[in-house]
Amino acid sequence: MNYYQRPTEQEEQAAAETNAAFAEHLNQFKANCDALHHIENNLSTTATDALKAALLTPGRVVQTDDGAEWQHDLDLTSLTSVCHRRTAAGLEFAVVECLPLKCGEHKDVLNSGHDVREVLQVFTRDQRQVLSLWKEDVKAQVKEHLEDKYPRQDMGIVVESFEIKMAHAISETRALTQSQNRGVRI
Amino acid sequence: METIPQNEEPAPKPTERLAYSIQEAADMLGVNYFSVYRLIQRNKLKPCRALRGKLLVPRSELLKLLGTE
Repeated sequence: MNYYQRPTEQEEQAAAETNAAFAEHLNQFKANCDALHHIENNLSTTATDALKAALLTPGRVVQTDDGAEWQHDLDLTSLTSVCHRRTAAGLEFAVVECLPLKCGEHKDVLNSGHDVREVLQVFTRDQRQVLSLWKEDVKAQVKEHLEDKYPRQDMGIVVESFEIKMAHAISETRALTQSQNRGVRI
Repeated sequence: METIPQNEEPAPKPTERLAYSIQEAADMLGVNYFSVYRLIQRNKLKPCRALRGKLLVPRSELLKLLGTE
C-alpha cells in the first residue's frame, strides 16, 4: 500500500470505527500524558515543595501495605503522593500510590530515596514506561480489531494513524518538557 | 394426586474465562486502564499475551490481587 495516497473510503470508515471503539483508551491515555507532562514541567518546584513540607509541617501518617509509616507531603496525581519518613541516614522520600481496588485500598511505595528530585525523576521515567507499554498494547488491540472486522484487507494505514495519535500525545508532552527545561538542570 | 418433585439440576455455571482484557481487568478491579498497566509494569499483575500480541490478565492473577484466591 502506498501510504502517500489518499485513504480509501473503507479505510476512512475503518478509522472512524477504530476511533470510536478505542475512544476511552485514547481519552484516558491523553489525560495521563497531560498529568505526566504537568509533573515533569514542575519537577523542580514540586521537589522544593515536598522538601519544605517534610521539614516544616507534620503531614498526616500514611501506612503502606508493608507496614511502613510515612508522612504525607503533597499530592502528585489523584492516586499518588510524595511522602517522607525520618531514618538514621536522614529524610527518606517516597512516591506512594493509593489504589482504590474494589476489595479495598492498596497503598504501595512506587519508589523511594533520599534525594527527592531523584525520586520524582525515577517516578516520571517509570510513568513513561507504563505509557509506552499501554501504547504498544493498544496498537496490538487495534490491529486485532481491524483484522476481525476487515479480514484479509490491509488496514495498516489505519493502525498507523491511531498509533500516531498516541505517539503524538506522548511527544507533545516530551517536546514541551524539553523546551521548558532547556538549560535548567532538574 | 401427589406430584413427584422433579430432580432439579443446578443451572450450569457460566464458563469461567481464563484471562481478561485490560479493559475487563480494570472494570473488575475498579481502577482505570493506566493503573492496570502500572500494576503490570510493576509485576503486581503478570500478564500473558494473546496470539496476536495484545495483553491479557489471567483470572488467577486478578483473584490473587483481589485477595479471593
